[in-house]
Amino acid sequence: MNDPRHSGDASPVRNPRRWVEHDGVHIDVRGLPPPEPMVAILALVESMRDAGPVIVHHERDPQMLYPELAELGWAATRIDGVAGEVRLRLERLE
Amino acid sequence: MKRHMHTFLSGAKSRLLPASVPFRFFGAACVYHVLAWVALFAGADQFPHFSGGLGWPLAALHLITLGVLTMTAMGASLQLLPVATRQPVFALRAPAVIWWIYTPGVAALALGMGTGQTLLLTGGATSVVAGLAVYGALLAHNLYGARGMPNVIAHGWVALASLAVLLVTALSLAYSYGGVPILTRPLALALHVPFAAYGFMGMLVLGFSCVLVPMFALSPAIDERSVLVSCIFAAIALLGVGVAAFGIAPARLRIAALVVGSVAVVVHLRLMRHALATGLRRSLGGSFMLVRIAWGLLVASLLAALGIVLELPMAGLPTLFGMLLVAGWLLTILVGLLQRILPFLASMHAIPGSRRPPTPSTLTAPRPLAIHFYCHLAALCCLAVATMTDSPNLTRTAAVTGLAGALAFAAFFALVLWRRRHPVAMTPVRTTSVA
Repeated sequence: MNDPRHSGDASPVRNPRRWVEHDGVHIDVRGLPPPEPMVAILALVESMRDAGPVIVHHERDPQMLYPELAELGWAATRIDGVAGEVRLRLERLE
Repeated sequence: MKRHMHTFLSGAKSRLLPASVPFRFFGAACVYHVLAWVALFAGADQFPHFSGGLGWPLAALHLITLGVLTMTAMGASLQLLPVATRQPVFALRAPAVIWWIYTPGVAALALGMGTGQTLLLTGGATSVVAGLAVYGALLAHNLYGARGMPNVIAHGWVALASLAVLLVTALSLAYSYGGVPILTRPLALALHVPFAAYGFMGMLVLGFSCVLVPMFALSPAIDERSVLVSCIFAAIALLGVGVAAFGIAPARLRIAALVVGSVAVVVHLRLMRHALATGLRRSLGGSFMLVRIAWGLLVASLLAALGIVLELPMAGLPTLFGMLLVAGWLLTILVGLLQRILPFLASMHAIPGSRRPPTPSTLTAPRPLAIHFYCHLAALCCLAVATMTDSPNLTRTAAVTGLAGALAFAAFFALVLWRRRHPVAMTPVRTTSVA
């Protein structure tokens, strides 16, 4: 409720921060209420035309995401991130 | 590729219980689902005008409420709550202990109710209450330390308070058959029915729906303020029913509680409809068809309850109310959601070392689910007509149809488990369509 982005029955999915670095497309879903991190990540992955990796910056281990990712033919690997962050590298399965 | 095999779900199991824990609860629920329809067949002559008392209709009712609904709710909440609330499970062995105390207790209780053996009934009830008390302690510990998900937590606390009422009244009713009631039977019954169905099970269902429906629909998060409003209205309604049970303005309070409860339901259903309408995944299949039907039957149960309070001259109305509430709303929404939860959980618990992690769509079994879908709905229709026409033969038809559906659902569960153990290289069916 403290989140001013909430209003009405449900707000549209809020846009998480996205940027590109040498290791792939980054998406920061920290601060989004569930299940919006999952929705944002799946939307990005689905929109990726090349097989480039996606780096996810999350505040928790997104356990519900993994079956949905597998459904799209992607897999997640936990990589090092800053303290308090769960960072994942998503790659398309061959 | 090999790296993926070992890293898929890496770290994901930190708050996941071993797969055997939730699946043993779901497996027992499948078995009791089958037995409930068998018990209904045995009690078909009494069912259409059933209004309490020992016999196979009472056994069938409790095989559904305790054997299927509560069993599934425990399995799902023990698995999902630690993930949702970011709390580790307090005692890892406790869920297994609960299962071993609770599951035989349900069998003994149902057998005692069906055969009229009070020793079996009270022994089973004691075991069931003990199992639920340990579960309540685990639930309380999890809710107390929860982070985030205030909507689930609020519903969880109301469910927990209802569980306390349920346990006291259940013991009282069971021990009344042994000649040592704690409360008077009318008081215990007046508290037991609403707090067990709408309070304990109902609030768990409403709370988890606020998480599961947006998750499966891939919709934006549901507005927490509206969820809390629904929860508060539901809690006030339960409080009103509770006070009415003590004989304080019973008719007026019950009508007021129904009005307030209806507001809670309307707010909840509006949120659910919005989630489904705005979700990225539009096609949710037969499972959500059942969920939508269940929501309609929830409303129907409230109308039937109003008819009882207003003393409408309609034969079989109390039985119809119970049928709409337990088999109509709670059982239907539960089997609907379970159709999606089971393959999803099985995928989360992918067997380590498998060549490629199985996806939910490769684990599910559409044909048994289709059989269950039609049999379940046909059984509900037959039961509704049977209660209104006082027809034992129609009840038997409903029991046989429901049994066929329950067996199909059990086959679906067995196939999910088998495919999890023996994943085949299949191209996943793309159920996600993200714009």
